[in-house]
Parts: sequence; C-alpha cells; structure tokens
Amino acid sequence: MKSKISVVLIGILLVLAVAGCAKKEAPAPAAPSMKVGMVTDAGTIDDKSFNQGTWEGVLRAGTEFKLDTKYLKPSGTTEADYLKEIGNLYDAGYKFIVTPGFKFETTIFQAQTKYADAKFVLIDGSPHAGDWKNVVGPNTVSIFFAEHESGFVAGVAAALQMKTGSFGFIGGMEIPPVQKFNWGFQRGVDYANKNLGTKITIKAENVIYQGSFDNVAAGQQIAASMYDKGVTVIFAAAGGVGVGAINEAKARATAGKTAWIVGVDVDQYADGIYTGDKSVILTSAMKRIDVAAFDMIKAELDKTFPGGKTLTFDAKNNGVGIPAKNPNLAPEVQAKVEEIFKLMQNGTITVPADQGTFIK
Amino acid sequence: MHTLALIFPYAVAFTVPLLAASLGGLFSERSGVVNIGLEGLMVSGSFTCAVVASRMETVLGPGNPGALWMGLGAAVVVGALFSLLHAFASISLKANQVISGTAINMIAGSLTVFLARTMTGSGNVRIVLGFIPSDIPVLSGIPILGPLFFTKTYATTWLMAAVLAVAWFVIYKTPFGLRLRACGEHPQTADAAGINVYRMRYIAVVLSGALAGLAGGIILVTYSGEFNGNVAGLGFLALAALIFGQWKPLGILGATAFFGFAATIANVSQVIPQFSRIPGLLLKAFPYVVTLIALVLFSKSSQAPRASGEPFDQGKR
Repeated sequence: MKSKISVVLIGILLVLAVAGCAKKEAPAPAAPSMKVGMVTDAGTIDDKSFNQGTWEGVLRAGTEFKLDTKYLKPSGTTEADYLKEIGNLYDAGYKFIVTPGFKFETTIFQAQTKYADAKFVLIDGSPHAGDWKNVVGPNTVSIFFAEHESGFVAGVAAALQMKTGSFGFIGGMEIPPVQKFNWGFQRGVDYANKNLGTKITIKAENVIYQGSFDNVAAGQQIAASMYDKGVTVIFAAAGGVGVGAINEAKARATAGKTAWIVGVDVDQYADGIYTGDKSVILTSAMKRIDVAAFDMIKAELDKTFPGGKTLTFDAKNNGVGIPAKNPNLAPEVQAKVEEIFKLMQNGTITVPADQGTFIK
Repeated sequence: MHTLALIFPYAVAFTVPLLAASLGGLFSERSGVVNIGLEGLMVSGSFTCAVVASRMETVLGPGNPGALWMGLGAAVVVGALFSLLHAFASISLKANQVISGTAINMIAGSLTVFLARTMTGSGNVRIVLGFIPSDIPVLSGIPILGPLFFTKTYATTWLMAAVLAVAWFVIYKTPFGLRLRACGEHPQTADAAGINVYRMRYIAVVLSGALAGLAGGIILVTYSGEFNGNVAGLGFLALAALIFGQWKPLGILGATAFFGFAATIANVSQVIPQFSRIPGLLLKAFPYVVTLIALVLFSKSSQAPRASGEPFDQGKR
C-alpha cells in the first residue's frame, strides 16, 4: 500500500517538474537591443492596478520594439527584497528597470548610485534616503500622476450624467494619491454644479477613507449604507474595498435600484458587469500607468531618456482621464466631457492638487 | 432605531459565514479534535464555490440561483474532502492537531492561489453576481422585527438558521450527539462503552470541513463576489467565537452575532454620523479587546471538551 502511494507521489512530482521546466523555455527574441526589467510591488502582476498597468506598458514596448522583457516578484516588500531583485535583473543584463509604487522610493535611492550604468523608472514615487529629501539621480526618472485631474474629469462626467442627486466617495488609505482623487472628484462635481447647471450634493458623512485596500466586507457594507442614505454614485478609489462596493452596486442594480460606481486607476467597466453587457461602472478615473512605462522605454530607445527629472503625467500629455468609451454615459455627456478635457489640456481650466475647501 | 434597522441586515450577512465556520469547529472540538484549519478550509470552500459558480453562471446566466447553489454544494464537498487530510493526520496518525491544522491553512492558502492562477491567469476568481438580498413577504411588514430580521435577507441566512437548529438538535437530542460529546470528554470511556472513537472523530472533522467550506462559499455568494486568496482571517475569528461561545451552539450564535455586529459597526461607523464621533480605531479594536477580556474571565470556568486536542490512544487509560 505504502509503496503504491509513493509511486503515485513520485509520478506527480515528475509531472510537476516537467511542467515547471516547460514553462520556463520561452523562445528568446532574436538579439534584442535592450533588456527591460520590472520588479513588482506588493500584490501580483495581475492586480488590475499598478503592477499590471506597468507590466502592460513594458510588454507593449517589448513587442513593438522587439525588446527582451522580464519581471521579478520579490519574496517580501522590504527594501532588501526589492534591492535583491533589482540586483538579479542587473546581473542578468536587464539595465532598464521599471518599478511601480511609492514603496520603491528608498530602494531606488540606493540602486541609482549602486548601479550607475542602469536606468531606473520609478512610478508614483521619488527616490530618497528615508528622509523625504528627494534625490533623483541622473539615471533615474521619477513619475507622478495628476490624480486630481483624473478625479476632476470623472466628477464632471458623473455629475453631467446624473444631473441631480447625492454622491459619495470611498477611499482606501488616506494617502496623497487617494486624497488627490477625492479632492479632484469633488472639484469636478463642484465645477459642474457652478458652470453646467447640475445639482449634485456631496455630504461630509459620505466622504470616507476606509483605512485599507483589502477589506472587501467593509467596502460592501459602507457602499450599502451610502446607497441606503440616498447616494446614487460612489467614487471608489480603494482597491479591494472598491471590489466590495462594486459587488453591492451590482446586487442593487439587479434588483432595479439606482446604484453607480466610478472606477479608478484603470477602466473598470468589465468589473462592474452584472448582466449581459450592463455594468454599474458609470466611468473610471484613470491613470495611464502603461503609457508612462511605455513612453519612458521609448525615450530611452530614442536617446532622450529624461534622467534626473521628475515628470508629471496629467491631462496635457494624456496621462490621466476617463476611458474613451463609456457605455453608461450619454453621447452628449461624453462630448461635453471631451470638450472640458480639451480646456484642461490648453490650460483654460486648472485643477489645484490641494484640498482647498473640500471635504477630507 | 432607524440606524439599527439600516445596519442590521449587513451585520447578519457578516455573521452567517462566521456562524457556519464556528459550528464546524464545534463539531470537531466536541469530538476531541482541535481544528485550527478552519481558515484554510474556508479558503478552499470559497475558491471552489467561485470556480463552480462562475463556470455555471456562464451556462445558466449571471446570478442564477441554481449556479450559486451548485457552487455552495461544491464548496461543502471540497471542504469535507479537504478536512480528511486533517482527520487522517490527527486521528489515524495521532499527529499534533495544531500542526496538522496549520498545515491545512498553509496548503489551502497556496494551493488555491496556484490553481486560480493556472485557471484564470489571475489570482482572483470572480463571479458575475451573487445572491440578491430580498424581503420576506408578509413577515417583513411586522413592526420592529420585520425590518430587522426579514428585510434584505439572503437565502443562505435561512439555510444557516436551519443548520443551526439541526446542529443543536443533533448534539443534544440524539444518540449520535451524546456519543460525539463523550468522545470529546473521555474517549477511553466512550471506547469502553463500545463507541468507535476513530469513526466518530472522522465524522466530526468531515462535518467541520463541510461547514467551513460552506462558510467560505457563503462569503463569496453574499458580500465578496470575488475569490482573492483569503477570507480575511474569519476562520480564526470563528475559533475565537467557539471559545467565547463556550462550545455550545447557542453560545456560538451569540458570540458570532457579537463579532458580526461589532465588525459591521466598525466598518460603517464612518458613514453614520451617530457613530462618527467615536474614533474608528477604537471601534475596530473593540471586538478583539472584548474577546481577550472574556477569555481571561472565562478561563477558570471554561467548559472546553476535556479531551480536545489529545489524540485518542486505545491502549491508554
């Protein structure tokens, strides 16, 4: 009996081992001109947010320019873990390294001097030694996004579509990118109220930061409470907490009630589908992370890598905005929003990044 | 009152999976096997339910109750099968029950994520639509009780109410329940009385696996809608509720309801003006602090099954 079990076990192990080998043997592209590496932040490569967006940009550049691309997932989220993987990439000849997330700030600070002949792209962060004094090395580009402009466009779009009613906001942690989304969204709604004749209210009690990015149950319960109190649109910039909110909206929409969500970071329309092709996602406040990663790789190939600079991706360079297609927005709303987006691009409308008189 | 009526249905929805897992733990511990693997069993149930329900939804249509029930059924089966590992290690091999339970937690956590990745290319498995909460006709019109218990209820809530009643009956009113409890209190005596302790413990552990799997499935088809590799520590909370509830079905109902309400209040406190004056951190820590205090207070009079955690050795007296 025992020998039978061990035979089966060995068989399974062999199959696994063979399968494991087979996966690694991807055909190498013919003599790539550059090797682009990426180290993932906390979370997975398919997180529908930072890692995925960055990787999509890297992959697109990889196929378009025939580059060798690779990502490594650190075993932890400490500076040592990140540095180890950067070192691994460097040693394997990947001398153009993209890292997403503010957690890489201190890591890149060290890496940019340690590997002076490598290029680094730090998305949503700026290198420093832990003292918040930013030092962007000559071989590093630090990229930020104008989340407030993204939130603004989404706010205008949502307000124009709904005309009247009450809106809410659910944020993850109370950190600058999330806060800027919130303030921008409120500014957008405010702009629509003042200039476009909408009557949307946002009550202070309906603007909250849940405090995490992974509490699905809390997201569902908070969204449910807001909808119960008459909120029709919730802007959820909250990762997994937003998943709970979307889930609640789906249940309500199925029961025939009005419940909309404004998505975040990427076009979340597909996440909100509850029947057929109907979705609860009114629109999404996007950050074009993939564009940022792609553009930097392209710049390096064109020998115009903006080393030492801190770049902001905003409306002007199409780094933020709402999706090109929003099936839940009326065509005239879409047209009006595009018009306003153009005004933002040429500087007629400026969206401040600070809190101003807005809630939280 | 109005606020209470608002959050009540959400608190109940949060309580139900906790209750299911805790009842599972009850069966196992009453038979003398500590099942620290509840968390892992819930994860495997949640994963199975997500896979089956999402596949069936593409056939039967999104939110189809049949698809969701099939998912829950599969979760029960997989939970039960998975718990056999724990049963085999801790009953037949007389291994340390805490270690084999921990192993279950570790295997379930990594295996499900691995499978989810291979199947969907992503670590997450999503169902299009879960159960839609509905009002019970007539009963929801009853003043006070109606809005609290009969509005926005999930079908799974009523299922769990039935399971709880059956569990109480089985444990206290049937020969099976008496034997089960005997195995957890003094297995040698039970053995001398002609009860097959090994068999009783196997049945109990499999029951606990089935209920924990169901709990994982319920989380998925009610409030989460997406399997993302964990169940947010509810399995461990269920263990705490089991101790807090003193290994009794109704005690567990009280303990899980307490956790459910405390967690819900903490979650929605920011949205409800009446609660927003209390610091959120305080509300979030509240249930855990109370549990710690309760555990200290109850430690002297704790009525844990006496043989819980001890492998049964027929030769020992």
